[in-house]
Amino acid sequence: MIISATIAVLVGGGVYLLLARSMVQAVFGITLISHAANLILLLSGVPAWRGEPLADRTDPALAGDPLPMAFVLTAIVITLAVTVFMLMMAVLGHNDDTRRTPATGETRDR
Amino acid sequence: MTSMTLPYTVLLLVVAVIATPALAGTLRRNTGWVLAAVYLAAGAVFLPAAARVLDGDVMRWSMPWVPSLNVSFALRADGLGVVFTYIALVIGAVVLCYASRYLEAGPPHRGFFLVMASFTASMVGLVLADDLIVLFICWELTSLASFLLIAQGGRGGQLASMRTLFLTFVGGLTLLIAVALIVLRTGTTTLSAALADPIWSTDPAFTSVVAVLVLTAGFTKSAQFPFHVWLPDAMAASTPVSAYLHAAAVVKAGIFLLMRFSPAFHATPVWNVALITVGLFTATLGAWFALQQLDLKKLMAYSTVSQLGLIVATIGVGTQAALAAAVLHTIAHALFKSGLFMMVGVIDHAVHTRDLRRLPPLAKAMPLSFAVTALGAASMAGIPPLLGFVSKESLLGALHGAPGPAWTGWVALIAAGFASVLTFAYCTKIVFGAFIDGTTDPAERPIHPTERLMLLAASLPILASVPLGLIAGVFDIPLTQAVRAALFGSYPDPHVALWHGITPELVVTLLIFTVGAMLIATRKRLFARLEHDSLPFDGAQAIAALVRSLRRAGLAVVRLVEADNPSRHLTPILTVFALVVLVGVGGLLREGALPQPVPGLSRPIDGVLLVLVTGAVFVACVARSRLTAVVALSTTGILATAQILALGAADVALTQLLVEALTVIVVMLVLQKLPVRFGPTPPARRLGTATLAAFVGLAAGAGTWALAGRRPRSELAHWYLSEAPDISGGANVVNVILVEFRALDTLGELSVLGMTGIALIAVLSTVRDRELDPHPTARTSGQGRAMNRWQSTPDLPLRARHTPAYRAIHESWGNVVGLQLMLRLVGPLLIMVSAFLFWRGHNSPGGGFIAALVASAIVGLMYLSTSRDRAIGPPRLPIHLISAGVLVAVVAGFIGLIFKGSFLQPIHGHVGAVHLTTAMIFDAGVFTAVLGLVMVAFNLLGTTQLLSAEATRERVDQTVEGKLPGPLETVRGERAHPRPKRSENGRRVGVGTAFLARDRQPREPGRDTDVPSKEESR
Repeated sequence: MIISATIAVLVGGGVYLLLARSMVQAVFGITLISHAANLILLLSGVPAWRGEPLADRTDPALAGDPLPMAFVLTAIVITLAVTVFMLMMAVLGHNDDTRRTPATGETRDR
Repeated sequence: MTSMTLPYTVLLLVVAVIATPALAGTLRRNTGWVLAAVYLAAGAVFLPAAARVLDGDVMRWSMPWVPSLNVSFALRADGLGVVFTYIALVIGAVVLCYASRYLEAGPPHRGFFLVMASFTASMVGLVLADDLIVLFICWELTSLASFLLIAQGGRGGQLASMRTLFLTFVGGLTLLIAVALIVLRTGTTTLSAALADPIWSTDPAFTSVVAVLVLTAGFTKSAQFPFHVWLPDAMAASTPVSAYLHAAAVVKAGIFLLMRFSPAFHATPVWNVALITVGLFTATLGAWFALQQLDLKKLMAYSTVSQLGLIVATIGVGTQAALAAAVLHTIAHALFKSGLFMMVGVIDHAVHTRDLRRLPPLAKAMPLSFAVTALGAASMAGIPPLLGFVSKESLLGALHGAPGPAWTGWVALIAAGFASVLTFAYCTKIVFGAFIDGTTDPAERPIHPTERLMLLAASLPILASVPLGLIAGVFDIPLTQAVRAALFGSYPDPHVALWHGITPELVVTLLIFTVGAMLIATRKRLFARLEHDSLPFDGAQAIAALVRSLRRAGLAVVRLVEADNPSRHLTPILTVFALVVLVGVGGLLREGALPQPVPGLSRPIDGVLLVLVTGAVFVACVARSRLTAVVALSTTGILATAQILALGAADVALTQLLVEALTVIVVMLVLQKLPVRFGPTPPARRLGTATLAAFVGLAAGAGTWALAGRRPRSELAHWYLSEAPDISGGANVVNVILVEFRALDTLGELSVLGMTGIALIAVLSTVRDRELDPHPTARTSGQGRAMNRWQSTPDLPLRARHTPAYRAIHESWGNVVGLQLMLRLVGPLLIMVSAFLFWRGHNSPGGGFIAALVASAIVGLMYLSTSRDRAIGPPRLPIHLISAGVLVAVVAGFIGLIFKGSFLQPIHGHVGAVHLTTAMIFDAGVFTAVLGLVMVAFNLLGTTQLLSAEATRERVDQTVEGKLPGPLETVRGERAHPRPKRSENGRRVGVGTAFLARDRQPREPGRDTDVPSKEESR
């Protein structure tokens, strides 16, 4: 199955980036890994059936499993939210988390 | 029916609590009279039950509270309960009368009266409780009330109240553990039943553990060493509070607890030893510290610590005589100490100081006060014929009977005698220091007249100890019943009287008096030499040091798992993951346990995509320029979209494509504030990471290959494909699953989106602008002050002003005119496309989420078409969108719940030929929330500070709330100024063309977040 090789590449690249010091690179890594995760989920629907699950257009005998697709759709949305949140984290401070934690301007909770 | 008086008594007090705020609003400080009357009334209501108890009965009343846990609101009046109830009510009434004159006349003192009333109710609840849970709750309520009353004591009270809370809650926790253990072992939450359980005599280890827990709780409340530090701290509270809580009630709750549990622990050695030693040590220590005080109130506090120590030690003796003595001294102490505290308040009111160094000799000016204080101090010092003498005699006698070898009794007696000498000394100091030895000239410190009622209330409890000492025999019956409650199965016959004949304790007392007389003679020189701290630190510093060291220890522990570098955590996790998967797959292969893969799993397109993805991922990994990395990343995203499409998931592909576009825009917003390149990584580290990454990637690929595609489609897939269209009336099975079959998932997803938006606001609004904007060192621009400060000026020599090259860089508004013009055309188109996608979602690829992403593109375009970073949409709109989205979705769910009996189940119907369903309402919620999140992301991450702007607020707040009035403080929920009319900039691009002729910037979409309005017209 060729897609498993694609998944291997995505996960490998994702892990490489995730382990980098820069927060932005880590976010990119998460993005790659989530692509891989989405593909894995879709594969659980068995890629031998690849028809769109549209009742009025596709023969149900050829249609793909719709449930993993729904899962993946949800996963994509949540990935968007998580990515935006992590990007916000990356923007705090001036050096992309490579050197120090940014001062928040608040007095530290003693 | 007498037992009904118990709940009525408590109910009356609770009603008083409820009525207090309203009363205080109208009666102001006179509320004290009403509360005092209520307390006396409660005492009267309680009288029938009390009378029965004194006859030897026990009153019970209970009501189921938490039946599933067998917890009931159970009350029980026995000898101890009666004595302590009356202490709480009578002293409470007197103190509240006093307070109604002591407090300032103007303000309503709502907080004071409310907490006082709550305290009394919980104190009475505590002493009457017959359920361990009720007991614990009332115990904590008294702690809280004490904390609140101290915290009300102004500036000095804040930290002091925190320390008090800290110490008393330590006791609360140990009591909670004790209660849990008792309930666990005895199987009942009924206090009296638990205390009568045979386990206390059969399991000494368990008994000892619980005894230590209970006595710790008692020690914290009764200010026993080392928890005594909170009581002097608590003097920050106003005098009525000290007189009531810190002399008669809260501290006596600890005494009460120790007595209440005496039936179980009175013969436990650890209990006896701990109580006697700690009690006597505290008695001596407290008296010693009291002698060193210059502040009369602090002196009283330490003297209370000392007296409580004596009582605790006596309870520790655990005999009938000892408990009788302890109860008697508790009563005596409550009387004289609350009176003395109130007298300190009288002095404070008269001369506006409590400092012995600043007091003039008051004896002549305030003869009545002098007499009363002297009486109170005499009672405390144990001078006959006052009640204090009787009770102290019995204390000494009881301590002489301490358990163990004969010498322990003598040691205890001598220690108590020594503490009493010190007591005598500080009593001397109170009377002589305040009234006779004062060195300050009375002319310097005018003496204000005392309100008579205040003095009367203060003297009542003290004066009461004169006749009570003479007729001490009246205490015989209550003491008998109290001791019976504290020692089950005992038949005590206490005989309280002034004269018992020549006894060891009388000899000790006489010795005390002899030394005391010498003290009085030498007091001036002696006290002056004592008035310094004998320890280099005080309790507050000790607690601060404790907290500091705890924090340091915590940091040391944290260091082990600190997450300052994610690879420290990720490396082991990922390694284990890869190992498990690879070993597992290897095992499966060797066993030959894998079924044959289904034929036709791969298509040629997969191979093409694999090659492309490999290239893109490689570039993303090795790119040092952030921009390159983003391009590679989005390429990967597009390729993943293509792969998804190739798998037949049209909806998913569409979503992925739009998300990809949005993600890239947000990434760009972020990148503009970050350095251009990624920081360097050492080659060794790179190699290690690459090895691990390859390893994990291999594992993921192998796992997928081994575990996926080896069975036909699932039953569930068949079911959805064949049934879903008929059930839902929608042909797009994926969308139908999302909004109907698994709508709860989608609701969760929606909430995650909304929360992300809120979290963005929450985090960013705690951060200063300068931490969000690019580093100031990036500002290298030498020319062009109007430029954004983080963009370095190109090295090209720019031409003069008004040349196109200059303007292209420095007056950038012209650059975006084209985009603005396009937006006017594309915007409506996108809205239509979005609406269309939304509408058709049920039958074809589309739906609320995809429609929202298309609509977000409009927001993105608007943002891009401005020459400066501007916030899109009115302030607060994003928050409202998010909340409305979640709300609409939940409401759609409830529609299903109400009409179909299942949350989120859609209702179908036809209007004409058009198929409608409530799932579309749900989808609209999705649409709104997604749009809100995108707007939050753009507005918060996209805006940056301009050089010219002099913002008055942090930008995030301005962006979220609109232009805020006032100085820099962050104000949430404050109403923004009405939006200024936007007129000065002329008309928008495409509506007018005047800007071309006049060379003036046209109006742009969005709003400035930090530029004053006059800047716009420049």
